Amino acid sequence: MLGTFSRQLRNHPALIPLFIFIGGGCAMSLTYLARLALRNPDVCWDRKNNPEPWNKMKPTDQYKFYAVSMDYSKLKKEGPDF
Amino acid sequence: MHVLNVSHDFHVPRNKGSAHGSRALVSDSGHTVTRTYTSRLRQGHARVMAEDIQQKLEKYRTAPFDARFPNQNQTRNCWQNYLDYHRCQKALDAKGVDTAPCDWYKRVYNSLCPLSWIEKWDTQREDGTFPGKI
Repeated sequence: MLGTFSRQLRNHPALIPLFIFIGGGCAMSLTYLARLALRNPDVCWDRKNNPEPWNKMKPTDQYKFYAVSMDYSKLKKEGPDF
Repeated sequence: MHVLNVSHDFHVPRNKGSAHGSRALVSDSGHTVTRTYTSRLRQGHARVMAEDIQQKLEKYRTAPFDARFPNQNQTRNCWQNYLDYHRCQKALDAKGVDTAPCDWYKRVYNSLCPLSWIEKWDTQREDGTFPGKI
């Protein structure tokens, strides 16, 4: 399969940017899915040992990529401990 | 970090823990006073916490931003505060401390949750069919 691929690329070198962009796009979508699966605090893989993963976050943890108007460094835990 | 004024009759020895894993304090007269010290510490901490929460409750307008739930869907925020209120009540009742600080969670879930959900969960708790772990 790799032989066919490299033969095609040698015969039509203009296709190289196409592969770069398609490959980059696939890599980005796969990494985003992996980030969602592994880092998203709403996702619970292990119900017995880690049933509420969102509770492990500190008040200043930011999961979103870009927070428009929220200053995370000033947040504190609101409710009482028990 | 709140610092409590502790009477200087007691000194903390270097031993790394008694059978219960708490430090055994020895007063000048020599007998252990572990239970009194730790329970007073707990009561002091509870009192300080209750005062903070009283002030917060007086100034309460609506549920504040919670970093655990940053997106538009606040369902889990509602659910978590409902659970936290009942867990807090259960835990503070078990410790024998005043449960007034738990009212913070009650105010938050009353702000966030639809009334029908709250009524449904309350009836489920009474029936014993509540799906959450309290």
